[in-house]
Amino acid sequence: MLFYSFFKTLVGKQITVELKNDLEIRGTLVSVDQYLNIKLESVSVLDEEKYPHMKSVRDCFVRGSVVRYVQPPEESVDVDILHDATRREARSAV
Amino acid sequence: MSSMLKPFLNSVISIITNDGRHIVGHLRGFDQQTNLIVENCHERVYSMENGVEMAPLGLYVVRGDNVALVGDVDEELDQKLDLSAVRAKGLGPIQW
Amino acid sequence: MASASDGGEDQATLANQQTNIDESTVKEPLDLVRLSLDERVYVKLRNDRELRGKLHSYDQHLNMLLGEVEEITTIREVDEETYEEIIKSNKRSVPYLFVRGDAVTLISPHEIRS
Repeated sequence: MLFYSFFKTLVGKQITVELKNDLEIRGTLVSVDQYLNIKLESVSVLDEEKYPHMKSVRDCFVRGSVVRYVQPPEESVDVDILHDATRREARSAV
Repeated sequence: MSSMLKPFLNSVISIITNDGRHIVGHLRGFDQQTNLIVENCHERVYSMENGVEMAPLGLYVVRGDNVALVGDVDEELDQKLDLSAVRAKGLGPIQW
Repeated sequence: MASASDGGEDQATLANQQTNIDESTVKEPLDLVRLSLDERVYVKLRNDRELRGKLHSYDQHLNMLLGEVEEITTIREVDEETYEEIIKSNKRSVPYLFVRGDAVTLISPHEIRS
């Protein structure tokens, strides 16, 4: 639930998603669900020369299970809030 | 929830599967597991030697576990693409 | 040499003492990860990927958020003629990185130098 909440704070922000097939997509986060499936709009593929597959796609759904990394914008990460939430979740998990 | 796909219903979608295939067709249905019903679909086969080859598939149910990405295709934009001029390697599979 | 029973008793005493200390107790693997919060860690992922960065958050799946991240990917290729193994490393830096836990193979609280 922690990262689900974290991603919800990134809705409307530009993120870069790297898939487990090495495809890197940049776009605006529209929504996220409990599986960390994500929906992006105004997407662009970072290496379009190598990956021309998405040239006619503007909005897309990415299955959470195929995500390797997500790069959030630097200014939208509040580390103090994250530390607190992580400690709280670690305590309640047991 | 996976109602994220609802706005894509009945429009042309582009699916990238976990084994690196690229399937394009009309989204007619989906469920929680991202299982998809795709009508009039075709596979786009990429190569470095030739342009994109279109392989007709018909009506498919794509199992959710094998779906990596679903894109909403802008049909106008798609028709303007000169796929015969595109040279690219096929996508790699999803690998942890 | 200490007998097995001595060792067992020591362990039991140690465990009893530790139940009184709350936040710093290490009873299970994820407790050790918790102690690394806000510290730099070394993370190994599948397919020859390594990360070094400050651990800002994690959950029970080992999903993580790292800060000031350095990623190293290693590609191994075999030269077709000489059969020599060529190892190439790519390095990149990212301010913040969310890492999906299913690719994680290990986390070390010490920042192991390459």
